[in-house]
Amino acid sequence: MSFMQEEKRPGKKKIKTTRVVNGLDVEEEVWVDDLEAPLFKPREECRLLGTRMKRVDGPAKLTGAAEYTSDVRLEGMLYAKVLLCPFGRAKVKIDAAPALASKGCVHARQLVDETKYLGQPVAVVAAATPELAEDALRALVVEYEPLPWVLDRGQALAEGAPEVRSRGNLGRPTEDGDAGEVEAAFAQCAVVVEQEYSVPVQHHVCLETHGTVVDYRGGEDAIVYCSTQSTHGIVGDAAESLGLRKAQVRGIVQHMGGGFGSKFGLERAGTLACEISREQKRPVHLMWNREAEFLTSGNRTGAWQRVKAGANKDGRMLAMSSDVERYGGIGGGSHAGLPYLYSVEKSLRKHASVYMHLDTNCAMRAPGHPQASFAMESVVDELAAGLGMDAVEFRKRNLNSPAHLRQLDRVAELIGWNEHPNRTAPGSVDGFEAVGIGFGCSRWGVGGSPVCQVDVRVMNDGSVTAEVGSQDLGTGTRTYLAAIVAEELGRPLDGVQARLGDSRMGNANGSGGSTTTPSLAPAVQDAARQMRGVLSVAAAEHFGCAPEEVVLDPDGARAPGGKLTWLELCALLPPEGASVRGTWQSDLAVSGVACTQAARVRVDLLTGRVKVEKMVCLQECGRPLNRLALESQIRGAMTQALSYALLEERRVDPQLGIALSADLETYKIAGSLEIPEFVALVDDDDLREGVAGVGEPPVIPGAGAIANAVFNACGVRLRHLPLTPDKVLNAIEERKSS
Amino acid sequence: MTTWNVRVNGREVSVEAPPMARVLDVLRESLGLTGSKEGCGEGECGSCTVLLDGRPTCACLVPIFQVEGRELCTVEGVAGTELDPLQRVMIEAGGVQCGACTPGIVVSLRALLDRDPRPTRAAVRESIAGNLCRCTGYERILRAVEELVGSEEADA
Repeated sequence: MSFMQEEKRPGKKKIKTTRVVNGLDVEEEVWVDDLEAPLFKPREECRLLGTRMKRVDGPAKLTGAAEYTSDVRLEGMLYAKVLLCPFGRAKVKIDAAPALASKGCVHARQLVDETKYLGQPVAVVAAATPELAEDALRALVVEYEPLPWVLDRGQALAEGAPEVRSRGNLGRPTEDGDAGEVEAAFAQCAVVVEQEYSVPVQHHVCLETHGTVVDYRGGEDAIVYCSTQSTHGIVGDAAESLGLRKAQVRGIVQHMGGGFGSKFGLERAGTLACEISREQKRPVHLMWNREAEFLTSGNRTGAWQRVKAGANKDGRMLAMSSDVERYGGIGGGSHAGLPYLYSVEKSLRKHASVYMHLDTNCAMRAPGHPQASFAMESVVDELAAGLGMDAVEFRKRNLNSPAHLRQLDRVAELIGWNEHPNRTAPGSVDGFEAVGIGFGCSRWGVGGSPVCQVDVRVMNDGSVTAEVGSQDLGTGTRTYLAAIVAEELGRPLDGVQARLGDSRMGNANGSGGSTTTPSLAPAVQDAARQMRGVLSVAAAEHFGCAPEEVVLDPDGARAPGGKLTWLELCALLPPEGASVRGTWQSDLAVSGVACTQAARVRVDLLTGRVKVEKMVCLQECGRPLNRLALESQIRGAMTQALSYALLEERRVDPQLGIALSADLETYKIAGSLEIPEFVALVDDDDLREGVAGVGEPPVIPGAGAIANAVFNACGVRLRHLPLTPDKVLNAIEERKSS
Repeated sequence: MTTWNVRVNGREVSVEAPPMARVLDVLRESLGLTGSKEGCGEGECGSCTVLLDGRPTCACLVPIFQVEGRELCTVEGVAGTELDPLQRVMIEAGGVQCGACTPGIVVSLRALLDRDPRPTRAAVRESIAGNLCRCTGYERILRAVEELVGSEEADA
């Protein structure tokens, strides 16, 4: 240890202060919080951050008092509804006059002459009540002339197929890698796997459907209530549809019932509501029904993935070639690319979209990643099995990040891998049932955006508000907004009122890609730290000490010169109180978080039913803000992955051109009976100071882990999601007869 | 339009509606009780679950004429002036995220607990099998009930 070395402590600084010792003034140096540095307090000093905090909007949500967009009721409000085309594609002719003549109907019109995809809205009506709007829809006289459609790959790529877009139904492929190098690398491999893996189109299934309520009655101002992931993001589209300027439109998103990536803009429901409101000069309420939610509000891209991969006898992956088709409807589709996450020495890949007359895909929780992860985790597992190598060990030899290596050990321990008999070879199909364990890993970039502006205000009666025009999708934004300020000012959680979901408040980004927390929380902390500085200065003037010597704690303020209660401290402020604005601090945002999962399944060998018994997840997130919310995000993500693995699949009849899964009876999502034991853990070995969101990473690896667990249980490899009992049973019979 | 007399959350109410009006619309549009949500409109998601004479029922499937003279309890009627203990443990355990399914789940669980004050985990699972949740993964909802009734019972 060198005496010359200046000691550094993050977020702290040394100041000189004078103390009276035995009647003498003694100057000494003390460590104090650096009020200029907007760092969080050290983890061990936090009363709130990093604990399990109850969500501040809990009581409103549990009693039904929370007002969602669909609950907004305004004087003179019209209810609008849309008619969806039941065919893959059609010419449409609508006589709206009978609808307009029906009771209470004030607006009815055709939207398109020719549809582009199955389920496209073709007409909209608005009437005084929801029932009268339904009546008006039924009164429309509609003639469809079905046009040739392409609803699956075969139809889309057939010779002479009707074109979804002018440049053909097969998009231009993107390719990279050197074919010669990859071929040479395959020659070095001790084991090579060549297989096809597919994933279906998945729906978001937000419990609250897409929709908007517009409060416009003529004049210059409008309020737009919208179920959206971007409070600020809807204002521009709404203004355009209403014929107003952006500054005249206010977006409100108080509570919203799930988005998962599907609710970024004003969306079609919102523009229609605005157009009708503009015409009628009355408030308009337009929520999609569940069918529209399935057919015309986006989805997760389906994919067909042909993969060839090889490893040497030491379990190093040397070569991979992949050919991926993305099925994103009339949109291009997304796929994260192979070799996903794992390092393979030589790789060749080709990606192309196949276009069909189906609703476009859109962002959905880690867009493109679960698709790639399912194929990659499967092929990794197949190579390990081919070498007779432990699946955990094989992964560790092909992952670079130290976080994944330690996570794999811990997750293996928690799922019971080390005592599991099938570590190097799968179980058999003999008997009644088989138990297996599988693994999967993911990583997500996260990273914050510098747009958030957070206003913290303390009034001289002691009340505190923290506000920003961000939104809480249910993930807990409101709670950490209050908690960060409460932590810094020494207040209880309920001593700070968090306000969000209003575009008149400070700027904020849309909530996507797990970026809300790393974008918003640093700005909240900046504001909180500034406010602490303001209060410390006020107290320091009162006590006659340095501001840094003032400590804010649940009792109020204390300093070498004495104590003040919180109310006494705030009473020192001017009558208008004190306000500060915080902005983004790059030091407080983490980029890149690792996640590792394991699943244990029980396969019923007589029925083919797969029961997931336990799922373990270890998730990095930098500094955890609210463990209760983080763990809930992780469990919810694992549930969506389980559901993707076993149950969910968008189905259409390509011959009849109709939807077969546009309701919650035919499109099944996991319910309470499907839920395994969850071990959802924040990775406390991640000691980074910044924060990250975890909406995306834990949704990625679960499906691969479950499919791998089925193989591990009974040696049947299922390469096409969902793993329904018919597929499992067929595979079991095939293995029995081989 | 006909006038219907129904007891809603302990209060006698008279409401005008066509006979085939859905109870869900009467609650939300006529009575201003928007706690019950419309998630699917066809009895699959359970977001509109209310108690009809104490039994969990999808309010989107029942026409108003069928509830004449009967008793409805919605999520707004579960709590008195303070939170019901069930609502309190749901918050503490983390059994709520976006909250769109929550009113229906609270009502389903309240009905279970009224029937069986110490349900097994399997019974709790069964009681909300008709309530879909897309955010939380259900586990904390089950845990909340266990914390409430003081049982640590594993699945049967």
